[in-house]
Amino acid sequence: MSSAPDTVKTDVACLVRSAQSGDRVAFAELYQRFTRMVHGVVLARIGRADVDDVVQDVFVTALERLGELREPAAFGGWLGTIARHRATDHGRRMPPTETLVHEVAAPGDRDRLEALAILDAIRALPDAYRETLVLRLVEGMSGAEIADRTGLTPASVRVNLHRGMKLLREKLT
Amino acid sequence: MSDYLWDKGGEEDPEIERLERALRPLAQSTPPPPLVLRPRPVISNRGRWTGVALLAASVALLAGGVTLALRLQRAVPAWQVTTTKGQSSWRVGGWLETGDREQASVQVADIGTLVVEPRTRLRLLDTRAGRHSLELARGTVHATIWAPPNQFFVDTPSSLAVDLGCAYTLTVDDDGSGLVRVLAGWVGFKWRDRESFIPAGSACPTRPGIGPGTPYNERVSPAYRDALSILDFSPGAPGTAAALTLVLDESAESDEVTLWHLLSRVPDADRDRVFDRLATFVAPPAGVTRAGIRGGDRAMLDAWWDALGLGTTALWRTWSQQWTDNVNHK
Repeated sequence: MSSAPDTVKTDVACLVRSAQSGDRVAFAELYQRFTRMVHGVVLARIGRADVDDVVQDVFVTALERLGELREPAAFGGWLGTIARHRATDHGRRMPPTETLVHEVAAPGDRDRLEALAILDAIRALPDAYRETLVLRLVEGMSGAEIADRTGLTPASVRVNLHRGMKLLREKLT
Repeated sequence: MSDYLWDKGGEEDPEIERLERALRPLAQSTPPPPLVLRPRPVISNRGRWTGVALLAASVALLAGGVTLALRLQRAVPAWQVTTTKGQSSWRVGGWLETGDREQASVQVADIGTLVVEPRTRLRLLDTRAGRHSLELARGTVHATIWAPPNQFFVDTPSSLAVDLGCAYTLTVDDDGSGLVRVLAGWVGFKWRDRESFIPAGSACPTRPGIGPGTPYNERVSPAYRDALSILDFSPGAPGTAAALTLVLDESAESDEVTLWHLLSRVPDADRDRVFDRLATFVAPPAGVTRAGIRGGDRAMLDAWWDALGLGTTALWRTWSQQWTDNVNHK
């Protein structure tokens, strides 16, 4: 038997290949496994009210273009790139004021306001840091999971988490 | 860097914990919302379809996957076999036999690949869109299949292996005994009414005249495997009671698939013991009773399987039905 990470990669590659040949169950499984990653990548870039729609759009795009993916094991990195592009496109189309209106919490909702304030602080960080921190702090993924899902190396994820957290602490103090 | 930031291990970091608590409500919901695919209208260049085509409704892709008919029907190419001697075509009805030191690589239509180990004897039974089958008389094959489940079958002297996606090794000994080891996805083993579902990281033996044994996690001890072999292939023999005791004592949460299979395979008098052991890992869902399991109630067994979180029995049973429809095995 292969080691566990190899098995996981093979598993994802097999799911991708099955999905490429039209297996809707395999694609549904990919959606289940990668939706948190896509949600985090998108949330790091656009207003929360639109995140769910963009996440859906990312997976629809992925399904349409799945045949173009030559290396099935690279699915996570490929999907992450689609998510970043979709989120960036969406951000360009949507006026900033509209985003702000959606983000405003109900009066008296202190917890929600605090969450949005922290999220704003994370979003103000450089790209690599904000995305990794959202995946860790919002989506609850471990560093290893982030590396596995995004295609980044564990070392890169460690650096992003470390430096990002340092900057975030400074911003919040 | 704190371990807590990496994987929540080590000493807790109060500030990170506070951030996690505050931000948790913003995370993707669990389970995530259904994925809704809205097919885009198809408009031909010649305008055969004008305006926006009214495609049938959007469809939902859930974890169990239900309605979307995305299966692509492709032309089925000939199977190509590559050995050190070169390439050749393999026709339906023909045998492929490898020598003592010869390995072959086979392109399985457009749905996968097969590596054939030395001293292996195989016959191509059928190949057409949506259905491909082989007979493995002896030897070892490594299959990697990316077609949808239930399209690739390998018949052996003691069981039919059904690919439920996607990578496994199947061995048949000279006496007709077999073993499947699953690297990724699932494999179904079937002989008459006896069926086993084998997940990735597990293996399952099979014997002529009996059919598939009980799947086990590859990490279990040799003694555990031997005990299962007694339960599967020597029922009633001396040592059966001790074998069951060993399996129950050594079973961990990762052995829930093994225990589930045993629920319907051990003698009625022993089912309560298996019931109790499985219940320590996965509680029987509402409506599943000790008496029902003791009596082999299929609906209750299915309900408990569903509770394992490995996929719904509806899906398994659908495939199982298709096996029966597609292959009149034994």
